[in-house]
Amino acid sequence: MKPMLSTDLNAVDTTVEKAKIEVKNLNFYYGQSKALKDINLSLPERSVTAFIGPSGCGKSTLLRVLNRIYELYPKQTAEGQVLLDGKNILDRSQDLNLLRTKIGMVFQKPTPFPMSIYENIAFGVRLYEKISKAEMDNRVEQALKRAALWNEVKDKLNASGLSLSGGQQQRLCIARTVAVKPEVILLDEPASALDPLSTAKIEELIDELQADYTIVIVTHNMQQAARVSRQTAFMYLGELVEFDRTEKIFTSPREKRTQDYITGRFG
Amino acid sequence: MAEHTVASFDEDLRQISKLINDMGDLASSMVSASTRALLETDNALAQRVVSDDAIMDARQRELDDRAITLIAKRQPMADDLRSVVGAIRMAGDLERIGDLAKNIAKRVGSVGVSATPRDLTHSIDSMAQLVLIQVQAVIQEYTVGDAAALAKLRNDDERIDVKYTSVFRELLTYMMEDPRNITACTHLLFCAKNLERIGDHVTNIAENAYYVLTGTQLPANRPKQDETAMSAPAA
Repeated sequence: MKPMLSTDLNAVDTTVEKAKIEVKNLNFYYGQSKALKDINLSLPERSVTAFIGPSGCGKSTLLRVLNRIYELYPKQTAEGQVLLDGKNILDRSQDLNLLRTKIGMVFQKPTPFPMSIYENIAFGVRLYEKISKAEMDNRVEQALKRAALWNEVKDKLNASGLSLSGGQQQRLCIARTVAVKPEVILLDEPASALDPLSTAKIEELIDELQADYTIVIVTHNMQQAARVSRQTAFMYLGELVEFDRTEKIFTSPREKRTQDYITGRFG
Repeated sequence: MAEHTVASFDEDLRQISKLINDMGDLASSMVSASTRALLETDNALAQRVVSDDAIMDARQRELDDRAITLIAKRQPMADDLRSVVGAIRMAGDLERIGDLAKNIAKRVGSVGVSATPRDLTHSIDSMAQLVLIQVQAVIQEYTVGDAAALAKLRNDDERIDVKYTSVFRELLTYMMEDPRNITACTHLLFCAKNLERIGDHVTNIAENAYYVLTGTQLPANRPKQDETAMSAPAA
Protein backbone atom coordinates (compact mmCIF):
# COMPACT_ATOMS: atom_id res chain seq x y z
CA MET A 1 0.00 0.00 0.00
CA LYS A 2 1.28 3.42 -0.96
CA PRO A 3 1.54 5.90 1.93
CA MET A 4 -0.46 9.00 1.17
CA LEU A 5 -0.36 12.59 2.32
CA SER A 6 -3.37 14.81 2.43
CA THR A 7 -1.38 17.54 0.70
CA ASP A 8 -0.84 15.35 -2.33
CA LEU A 9 -3.57 16.50 -4.67
CA ASN A 10 -3.60 13.24 -6.55
CA ALA A 11 -3.53 11.13 -3.44
CA VAL A 12 -6.80 9.71 -2.25
CA ASP A 13 -8.01 6.97 -4.45
CA THR A 14 -10.21 4.99 -2.12
CA THR A 15 -10.28 2.11 -4.54
CA VAL A 16 -6.60 1.27 -4.05
CA GLU A 17 -6.38 1.99 -0.34
CA LYS A 18 -7.29 -0.72 2.12
CA ALA A 19 -10.90 -0.18 3.04
CA LYS A 20 -11.73 -0.48 6.74
CA ILE A 21 -15.44 -0.17 6.17
CA GLU A 22 -17.32 -0.85 2.96
CA VAL A 23 -20.94 0.16 2.67
CA LYS A 24 -22.75 -1.71 -0.08
CA ASN A 25 -26.23 -1.06 -1.44
CA LEU A 26 -27.38 0.28 1.92
CA ASN A 27 -30.99 1.33 2.39
CA PHE A 28 -32.37 2.53 5.70
CA TYR A 29 -35.92 3.02 6.89
CA TYR A 30 -37.53 4.91 9.75
CA GLY A 31 -40.77 2.91 9.71
CA GLN A 32 -42.02 3.35 6.14
CA SER A 33 -39.87 6.36 5.42
CA LYS A 34 -36.71 5.69 3.44
CA ALA A 35 -33.85 7.69 4.93
CA LEU A 36 -30.89 6.24 3.03
CA LYS A 37 -31.06 5.30 -0.62
CA ASP A 38 -28.66 2.74 -2.04
CA ILE A 39 -25.51 4.03 -0.41
CA ASN A 40 -22.19 2.66 -1.66
CA LEU A 41 -19.07 3.93 0.03
CA SER A 42 -15.62 2.74 0.98
CA LEU A 43 -13.90 4.22 4.04
CA PRO A 44 -10.12 3.86 3.99
CA GLU A 45 -8.29 2.62 7.05
CA ARG A 46 -6.52 5.06 9.41
CA SER A 47 -7.93 8.09 7.74
CA VAL A 48 -10.58 10.70 8.53
CA THR A 49 -13.75 10.71 6.46
CA ALA A 50 -16.29 13.54 6.83
CA PHE A 51 -20.00 13.30 6.08
CA ILE A 52 -21.56 16.65 5.21
CA GLY A 53 -24.98 17.75 4.02
CA PRO A 54 -28.01 19.75 5.10
CA SER A 55 -30.16 18.68 8.05
CA GLY A 56 -32.13 15.54 7.30
CA CYS A 57 -29.81 14.41 4.48
CA GLY A 58 -29.04 11.11 6.22
CA LYS A 59 -25.47 11.71 7.33
CA SER A 60 -26.13 11.02 11.02
CA THR A 61 -28.33 8.07 10.06
CA LEU A 62 -25.48 6.60 8.05
CA LEU A 63 -23.14 7.10 10.99
CA ARG A 64 -25.62 5.36 13.29
CA VAL A 65 -25.77 2.36 10.97
CA LEU A 66 -22.02 1.86 11.18
CA ASN A 67 -22.20 0.64 14.79
CA ARG A 68 -25.87 -0.42 14.64
CA ILE A 69 -26.77 2.00 17.38
CA TYR A 70 -30.05 2.61 15.52
CA GLU A 71 -31.24 -0.74 16.84
CA LEU A 72 -31.82 0.85 20.23
CA TYR A 73 -34.90 2.41 18.66
CA PRO A 74 -38.00 0.64 17.33
CA LYS A 75 -39.04 0.40 13.67
CA GLN A 76 -35.65 1.30 12.28
CA THR A 77 -34.28 -1.10 9.72
CA ALA A 78 -31.21 -1.32 7.53
CA GLU A 79 -30.88 -3.34 4.32
CA GLY A 80 -27.70 -4.05 2.42
CA GLN A 81 -24.21 -4.62 3.71
CA VAL A 82 -21.74 -2.82 5.94
CA LEU A 83 -18.46 -4.69 5.83
CA LEU A 84 -15.97 -4.13 8.64
CA ASP A 85 -12.72 -5.72 7.48
CA GLY A 86 -14.78 -7.70 5.01
CA LYS A 87 -17.31 -9.02 7.55
CA ASN A 88 -20.92 -7.85 7.34
CA ILE A 89 -21.82 -6.17 10.64
CA LEU A 90 -25.51 -6.04 9.71
CA ASP A 91 -25.56 -9.83 9.90
CA ARG A 92 -27.83 -11.15 12.64
CA SER A 93 -25.01 -13.25 14.06
CA GLN A 94 -22.94 -10.12 14.77
CA ASP A 95 -22.27 -9.71 18.51
CA LEU A 96 -23.34 -6.12 19.19
CA ASN A 97 -21.22 -5.63 22.29
CA LEU A 98 -18.16 -6.80 20.44
CA LEU A 99 -19.05 -4.57 17.51
CA ARG A 100 -19.27 -1.51 19.74
CA THR A 101 -15.89 -2.16 21.30
CA LYS A 102 -14.51 -2.10 17.78
CA ILE A 103 -16.50 0.92 16.68
CA GLY A 104 -16.71 3.65 19.32
CA MET A 105 -18.90 6.71 19.14
CA VAL A 106 -18.82 10.26 20.46
CA PHE A 107 -21.94 12.40 20.34
CA GLN A 108 -22.73 16.05 19.75
CA LYS A 109 -23.41 16.79 23.39
CA PRO A 110 -20.79 15.54 25.83
CA THR A 111 -22.19 12.56 27.72
CA PRO A 112 -20.02 11.97 30.78
CA PHE A 113 -21.41 9.50 33.31
CA PRO A 114 -22.27 10.98 36.72
CA MET A 115 -19.17 9.48 38.27
CA SER A 116 -15.53 10.37 38.74
CA ILE A 117 -13.25 11.20 35.83
CA TYR A 118 -11.34 7.99 36.52
CA GLU A 119 -14.49 5.86 36.64
CA ASN A 120 -15.85 7.42 33.47
CA ILE A 121 -13.02 5.68 31.66
CA ALA A 122 -12.58 2.56 33.81
CA PHE A 123 -16.30 1.75 33.67
CA GLY A 124 -16.28 0.93 29.96
CA VAL A 125 -13.03 -0.99 30.14
CA ARG A 126 -14.36 -3.18 32.98
CA LEU A 127 -17.35 -4.25 30.86
CA TYR A 128 -15.04 -6.03 28.46
CA GLU A 129 -11.83 -6.77 30.28
CA LYS A 130 -10.67 -7.98 33.68
CA ILE A 131 -7.44 -6.16 34.43
CA SER A 132 -5.52 -5.31 37.60
CA LYS A 133 -5.74 -1.95 39.39
CA ALA A 134 -2.26 -1.03 38.17
CA GLU A 135 -3.15 -1.94 34.61
CA MET A 136 -6.38 0.01 34.89
CA ASP A 137 -4.53 3.06 36.24
CA ASN A 138 -2.23 2.84 33.28
CA ARG A 139 -5.11 2.41 30.84
CA VAL A 140 -6.92 5.45 32.25
CA GLU A 141 -3.76 7.55 32.07
CA GLN A 142 -3.00 6.50 28.50
CA ALA A 143 -6.57 7.17 27.38
CA LEU A 144 -6.54 10.63 28.98
CA LYS A 145 -3.19 11.36 27.39
CA ARG A 146 -4.48 10.22 24.01
CA ALA A 147 -7.41 12.60 24.43
CA ALA A 148 -5.05 15.46 25.42
CA LEU A 149 -6.81 15.80 28.75
CA TRP A 150 -4.30 14.22 31.15
CA ASN A 151 -2.46 17.38 32.11
CA GLU A 152 -5.69 19.14 32.98
CA VAL A 153 -7.17 16.38 35.14
CA LYS A 154 -4.29 14.30 36.52
CA ASP A 155 -4.60 15.91 39.97
CA LYS A 156 -8.34 15.49 40.22
CA LEU A 157 -9.14 12.06 38.83
CA ASN A 158 -11.68 11.54 41.60
CA ALA A 159 -13.60 14.71 40.79
CA SER A 160 -16.90 14.24 39.00
CA GLY A 161 -16.79 14.10 35.21
CA LEU A 162 -19.63 16.58 35.28
CA SER A 163 -17.41 19.19 36.95
CA LEU A 164 -15.36 19.59 33.77
CA SER A 165 -15.98 22.26 31.13
CA GLY A 166 -17.88 21.33 27.96
CA GLY A 167 -14.70 20.97 25.92
CA GLN A 168 -13.06 18.87 28.64
CA GLN A 169 -16.17 16.70 28.94
CA GLN A 170 -16.07 16.02 25.22
CA ARG A 171 -12.40 15.05 25.40
CA LEU A 172 -13.29 12.83 28.38
CA CYS A 173 -15.84 11.10 26.14
CA ILE A 174 -13.16 10.63 23.49
CA ALA A 175 -10.81 9.23 26.16
CA ARG A 176 -13.58 6.84 27.23
CA THR A 177 -14.00 5.72 23.63
CA VAL A 178 -10.27 5.28 23.08
CA ALA A 179 -9.82 3.34 26.36
CA VAL A 180 -11.62 0.26 25.07
CA LYS A 181 -9.20 0.16 22.13
CA PRO A 182 -11.59 0.51 19.22
CA GLU A 183 -10.60 0.31 15.56
CA VAL A 184 -13.05 2.89 14.31
CA ILE A 185 -14.25 6.10 15.99
CA LEU A 186 -17.51 7.70 14.94
CA LEU A 187 -17.88 11.38 15.79
CA ASP A 188 -21.33 12.92 15.51
CA GLU A 189 -20.79 16.69 15.47
CA PRO A 190 -18.25 16.41 18.27
CA ALA A 191 -17.41 20.12 18.41
CA SER A 192 -20.69 21.82 17.55
CA ALA A 193 -21.42 22.73 21.17
CA LEU A 194 -17.88 23.87 21.96
CA ASP A 195 -16.08 27.21 21.92
CA PRO A 196 -13.40 27.81 19.25
CA LEU A 197 -10.47 26.90 21.52
CA SER A 198 -12.05 23.61 22.61
CA THR A 199 -12.97 22.96 18.98
CA ALA A 200 -9.35 23.47 17.96
CA LYS A 201 -8.26 20.99 20.62
CA ILE A 202 -10.73 18.40 19.36
CA GLU A 203 -9.54 18.94 15.79
CA GLU A 204 -5.91 18.60 16.86
CA LEU A 205 -6.90 15.39 18.61
CA ILE A 206 -8.62 14.01 15.51
CA ASP A 207 -5.48 14.80 13.55
CA GLU A 208 -3.39 12.75 15.99
CA LEU A 209 -5.85 9.88 16.38
CA GLN A 210 -6.02 9.13 12.66
CA ALA A 211 -2.57 7.55 12.85
CA ASP A 212 -4.14 4.68 14.78
CA TYR A 213 -7.87 4.77 14.09
CA THR A 214 -10.29 4.98 11.22
CA ILE A 215 -12.35 8.07 11.96
CA VAL A 216 -15.71 9.12 10.60
CA ILE A 217 -17.00 12.58 11.46
CA VAL A 218 -20.38 14.13 10.82
CA THR A 219 -20.22 17.90 10.87
CA HIS A 220 -22.29 20.92 9.87
CA ASN A 221 -19.17 23.03 9.89
CA MET A 222 -17.75 22.78 6.39
CA GLN A 223 -14.50 24.48 7.27
CA GLN A 224 -14.08 21.84 9.94
CA ALA A 225 -14.68 19.05 7.42
CA ALA A 226 -12.17 20.73 5.11
CA ARG A 227 -9.61 20.99 7.91
CA VAL A 228 -9.79 17.58 9.52
CA SER A 229 -10.78 15.06 6.87
CA ARG A 230 -8.98 13.41 4.00
CA GLN A 231 -12.10 12.42 2.13
CA THR A 232 -15.55 13.92 2.23
CA ALA A 233 -18.97 12.53 1.41
CA PHE A 234 -21.72 14.98 0.51
CA MET A 235 -25.21 13.64 1.14
CA TYR A 236 -28.57 15.05 0.17
CA LEU A 237 -32.08 13.68 0.66
CA GLY A 238 -30.78 10.26 1.69
CA GLU A 239 -28.46 9.94 -1.31
CA LEU A 240 -24.71 9.97 -1.50
CA VAL A 241 -24.22 12.74 -4.05
CA GLU A 242 -20.44 12.92 -4.17
CA PHE A 243 -17.55 11.23 -2.41
CA ASP A 244 -14.03 12.36 -3.15
CA ARG A 245 -10.81 13.73 -1.77
CA THR A 246 -11.58 16.59 0.60
CA GLU A 247 -9.42 19.03 -1.40
CA LYS A 248 -11.37 18.19 -4.52
CA ILE A 249 -14.77 18.54 -2.83
CA PHE A 250 -13.96 21.97 -1.42
CA THR A 251 -12.08 23.44 -4.39
CA SER A 252 -13.78 21.99 -7.45
CA PRO A 253 -16.58 19.53 -6.73
CA ARG A 254 -17.92 17.49 -9.61
CA GLU A 255 -21.62 17.78 -8.83
CA LYS A 256 -23.62 20.98 -8.99
CA ARG A 257 -25.56 20.07 -5.83
CA THR A 258 -22.30 19.73 -3.90
CA GLN A 259 -21.11 23.05 -5.26
CA ASP A 260 -24.37 24.79 -4.36
CA TYR A 261 -24.31 23.41 -0.83
CA ILE A 262 -20.72 24.17 0.07
CA THR A 263 -20.83 27.65 -1.43
CA GLY A 264 -24.03 28.52 0.44
CA ARG A 265 -26.35 28.67 -2.57
CA PHE A 266 -28.80 26.02 -1.44
CA GLY A 267 -32.56 26.34 -1.60
CA MET B 1 -25.12 30.39 -11.11
CA ALA B 2 -27.74 30.65 -8.37
CA GLU B 3 -27.53 33.42 -5.81
CA HIS B 4 -26.11 32.82 -2.34
CA THR B 5 -28.47 32.48 0.58
CA VAL B 6 -26.61 35.44 2.08
CA ALA B 7 -27.20 38.19 -0.50
CA SER B 8 -24.33 40.39 0.69
CA PHE B 9 -21.92 37.58 -0.25
CA ASP B 10 -23.01 38.00 -3.89
CA GLU B 11 -22.50 41.74 -3.60
CA ASP B 12 -18.95 41.24 -2.24
CA LEU B 13 -18.12 38.91 -5.15
CA ARG B 14 -19.63 41.36 -7.64
CA GLN B 15 -17.44 44.17 -6.31
CA ILE B 16 -14.31 42.07 -6.80
CA SER B 17 -15.39 41.06 -10.27
CA LYS B 18 -16.09 44.71 -11.14
CA LEU B 19 -12.62 45.71 -9.98
CA ILE B 20 -11.04 43.06 -12.22
CA ASN B 21 -13.05 44.42 -15.14
CA ASP B 22 -12.05 48.01 -14.34
CA MET B 23 -8.39 47.02 -14.05
CA GLY B 24 -8.65 45.12 -17.33
CA ASP B 25 -10.12 48.17 -19.09
CA LEU B 26 -7.47 50.40 -17.60
CA ALA B 27 -4.70 47.99 -18.63
CA SER B 28 -6.00 47.96 -22.22
CA SER B 29 -6.19 51.73 -22.37
CA MET B 30 -2.68 52.10 -20.88
CA VAL B 31 -1.17 49.65 -23.39
CA SER B 32 -2.94 51.39 -26.24
CA ALA B 33 -2.01 54.91 -25.06
CA SER B 34 1.61 54.07 -24.30
CA THR B 35 2.30 52.60 -27.73
CA ARG B 36 0.44 55.47 -29.42
CA ALA B 37 2.49 57.94 -27.39
CA LEU B 38 5.65 56.13 -28.46
CA LEU B 39 4.76 55.97 -32.14
CA GLU B 40 3.52 59.56 -32.30
CA THR B 41 6.03 60.94 -29.80
CA ASP B 42 3.15 62.34 -27.75
CA ASN B 43 4.59 63.38 -24.40
CA ALA B 44 1.27 64.49 -22.93
CA LEU B 45 -0.27 61.10 -23.65
CA ALA B 46 2.79 59.39 -22.17
CA GLN B 47 2.34 61.48 -19.04
CA ARG B 48 -1.26 60.35 -18.78
CA VAL B 49 -0.14 56.70 -18.86
CA VAL B 50 2.27 57.39 -16.01
CA SER B 51 -0.48 58.91 -13.91
CA ASP B 52 -2.89 56.09 -14.82
CA ASP B 53 -0.44 53.65 -13.28
CA ALA B 54 -1.11 55.21 -9.86
CA ILE B 55 -4.83 54.53 -10.38
CA MET B 56 -4.01 50.93 -11.35
CA ASP B 57 -1.97 50.46 -8.16
CA ALA B 58 -4.80 51.88 -6.05
CA ARG B 59 -7.31 49.51 -7.68
CA GLN B 60 -5.07 46.55 -6.98
CA ARG B 61 -4.77 47.53 -3.31
CA GLU B 62 -8.53 47.91 -3.09
CA LEU B 63 -9.04 44.49 -4.67
CA ASP B 64 -6.56 42.88 -2.27
CA ASP B 65 -8.36 44.44 0.69
CA ARG B 66 -11.75 43.31 -0.50
CA ALA B 67 -10.58 39.79 -1.35
CA ILE B 68 -8.84 39.28 1.98
CA THR B 69 -11.82 40.65 3.88
CA LEU B 70 -14.14 38.35 1.92
CA ILE B 71 -12.00 35.31 2.71
CA ALA B 72 -11.95 36.24 6.40
CA LYS B 73 -15.68 36.93 6.56
CA ARG B 74 -17.16 34.30 4.24
CA GLN B 75 -14.65 31.45 4.05
CA PRO B 76 -15.50 30.91 0.37
CA MET B 77 -15.50 27.40 -1.07
CA ALA B 78 -15.25 25.79 -4.51
CA ASP B 79 -15.93 28.23 -7.39
CA ASP B 80 -16.21 31.16 -4.98
CA LEU B 81 -12.81 30.33 -3.51
CA ARG B 82 -11.29 29.93 -6.95
CA SER B 83 -12.71 33.22 -8.16
CA VAL B 84 -11.44 35.19 -5.15
CA VAL B 85 -7.95 33.69 -5.20
CA GLY B 86 -7.95 33.95 -9.01
CA ALA B 87 -8.90 37.64 -8.76
CA ILE B 88 -5.96 38.35 -6.44
CA ARG B 89 -3.59 36.73 -8.89
CA MET B 90 -5.13 38.31 -11.98
CA ALA B 91 -4.97 41.71 -10.32
CA GLY B 92 -1.25 41.15 -9.76
CA ASP B 93 -0.75 40.47 -13.47
CA LEU B 94 -2.88 43.46 -14.51
CA GLU B 95 -0.90 45.69 -12.21
CA ARG B 96 2.32 44.46 -13.83
CA ILE B 97 0.84 45.15 -17.28
CA GLY B 98 0.24 48.71 -16.03
CA ASP B 99 3.88 48.96 -14.91
CA LEU B 100 5.15 47.75 -18.28
CA ALA B 101 2.92 50.20 -20.15
CA LYS B 102 4.28 52.94 -17.91
CA ASN B 103 7.83 51.84 -18.75
CA ILE B 104 7.03 52.18 -22.47
CA ALA B 105 5.51 55.62 -21.86
CA LYS B 106 8.56 56.77 -19.92
CA ARG B 107 10.78 56.04 -22.94
CA VAL B 108 8.82 58.36 -25.22
CA GLY B 109 10.98 61.34 -24.27
CA SER B 110 14.20 59.36 -24.60
CA VAL B 111 13.52 58.01 -28.09
CA GLY B 112 12.89 61.57 -29.28
CA VAL B 113 11.04 63.03 -32.23
CA SER B 114 13.79 63.40 -34.75
CA ALA B 115 15.43 60.10 -33.90
CA THR B 116 12.34 58.01 -34.54
CA PRO B 117 11.99 57.45 -38.24
CA ARG B 118 8.64 56.01 -39.17
CA ASP B 119 10.03 52.77 -40.62
CA LEU B 120 11.83 51.98 -37.36
CA THR B 121 8.55 51.84 -35.46
CA HIS B 122 6.35 50.12 -37.98
CA SER B 123 6.87 46.58 -36.72
CA ILE B 124 6.56 47.74 -33.07
CA ASP B 125 3.19 49.14 -34.09
CA SER B 126 1.95 45.81 -35.41
CA MET B 127 3.36 43.97 -32.37
CA ALA B 128 1.52 46.40 -30.10
CA GLN B 129 -1.72 45.72 -31.98
CA LEU B 130 -1.31 41.98 -31.36
CA VAL B 131 -0.65 42.57 -27.65
CA LEU B 132 -3.56 44.96 -27.28
CA ILE B 133 -5.97 42.46 -28.83
CA GLN B 134 -4.77 39.84 -26.33
CA VAL B 135 -5.16 42.17 -23.32
CA GLN B 136 -8.69 43.14 -24.34
CA ALA B 137 -9.69 39.58 -25.16
CA VAL B 138 -8.51 37.96 -21.93
CA ILE B 139 -10.76 40.04 -19.69
CA GLN B 140 -13.61 39.76 -22.17
CA GLU B 141 -13.40 35.94 -22.29
CA TYR B 142 -13.13 35.72 -18.51
CA THR B 143 -16.19 37.92 -18.10
CA VAL B 144 -18.28 35.80 -20.48
CA GLY B 145 -16.84 32.59 -18.99
CA ASP B 146 -15.45 31.05 -22.18
CA ALA B 147 -12.82 28.58 -20.99
CA ALA B 148 -12.04 27.24 -24.49
CA ALA B 149 -11.34 30.76 -25.75
CA LEU B 150 -9.01 31.34 -22.77
CA ALA B 151 -7.05 28.18 -23.56
CA LYS B 152 -6.67 29.32 -27.16
CA LEU B 153 -5.71 32.83 -26.07
CA ARG B 154 -2.96 31.43 -23.91
CA ASN B 155 -1.54 29.57 -26.89
CA ASP B 156 -1.82 32.68 -29.07
CA ASP B 157 0.93 34.30 -27.00
CA GLU B 158 3.27 32.34 -29.23
CA ARG B 159 2.46 34.78 -32.04
CA ILE B 160 3.64 37.68 -29.88
CA ASP B 161 6.85 35.84 -29.09
CA VAL B 162 7.51 35.21 -32.77
CA LYS B 163 6.76 38.85 -33.54
CA TYR B 164 9.16 39.95 -30.82
CA THR B 165 11.88 37.86 -32.41
CA SER B 166 11.34 39.49 -35.78
CA VAL B 167 11.25 43.02 -34.25
CA PHE B 168 14.48 42.22 -32.45
CA ARG B 169 16.17 41.18 -35.70
CA GLU B 170 14.80 44.13 -37.60
CA LEU B 171 16.02 46.68 -35.05
CA LEU B 172 19.38 44.96 -34.95
CA THR B 173 19.62 45.38 -38.71
CA TYR B 174 18.81 49.13 -38.46
CA MET B 175 21.51 49.54 -35.87
CA MET B 176 24.07 47.79 -38.04
CA GLU B 177 23.05 49.86 -41.06
CA ASP B 178 23.48 53.18 -39.32
CA PRO B 179 24.96 53.61 -35.85
CA ARG B 180 22.97 56.84 -35.43
CA ASN B 181 19.92 54.59 -35.03
CA ILE B 182 21.40 52.83 -32.00
CA THR B 183 19.93 55.06 -29.29
CA ALA B 184 16.42 55.00 -30.70
CA CYS B 185 16.53 51.34 -31.58
CA THR B 186 17.79 50.35 -28.12
CA HIS B 187 14.89 52.16 -26.52
CA LEU B 188 12.51 50.58 -29.00
CA LEU B 189 13.99 47.19 -28.21
CA PHE B 190 13.17 47.71 -24.54
CA CYS B 191 9.65 48.72 -25.54
CA ALA B 192 9.32 45.55 -27.62
CA LYS B 193 10.52 43.51 -24.66
CA ASN B 194 7.95 45.24 -22.45
CA LEU B 195 5.22 44.36 -24.95
CA GLU B 196 6.41 40.77 -25.01
CA ARG B 197 6.28 40.68 -21.19
CA ILE B 198 2.74 42.08 -21.28
CA GLY B 199 1.88 39.10 -23.48
CA ASP B 200 3.29 36.79 -20.81
CA HIS B 201 1.08 38.40 -18.15
CA VAL B 202 -1.93 37.94 -20.43
CA THR B 203 -0.96 34.26 -20.59
CA ASN B 204 -0.89 34.10 -16.78
CA ILE B 205 -4.29 35.75 -16.59
CA ALA B 206 -5.70 33.30 -19.16
CA GLU B 207 -4.34 30.35 -17.17
CA ASN B 208 -5.78 31.71 -13.93
CA ALA B 209 -9.12 32.52 -15.48
CA TYR B 210 -9.28 29.03 -16.98
CA TYR B 211 -8.70 27.51 -13.53
CA VAL B 212 -11.28 29.78 -11.94
CA LEU B 213 -13.88 28.75 -14.51
CA THR B 214 -13.15 25.02 -14.74
CA GLY B 215 -11.37 23.99 -11.53
CA THR B 216 -8.65 22.33 -13.60
CA GLN B 217 -5.23 23.61 -14.62
CA LEU B 218 -4.14 23.94 -18.22
CA PRO B 219 -1.20 21.65 -19.07
CA ALA B 220 2.13 23.21 -18.08
CA ASN B 221 3.81 22.84 -21.46
CA ARG B 222 2.52 25.59 -23.70
CA PRO B 223 4.24 25.65 -27.11
CA LYS B 224 7.02 28.18 -26.76
CA GLN B 225 10.03 29.21 -28.77
CA ASP B 226 12.14 32.23 -28.02
CA GLU B 227 14.25 32.57 -31.08
CA THR B 228 16.19 35.53 -29.69
CA ALA B 229 17.49 33.45 -26.81
CA MET B 230 20.42 32.15 -28.82
CA SER B 231 21.32 35.47 -30.36
CA ALA B 232 20.69 38.03 -27.61
CA PRO B 233 20.22 38.30 -23.88
CA ALA B 234 16.63 39.04 -22.84
CA ALA B 235 16.25 42.75 -22.08
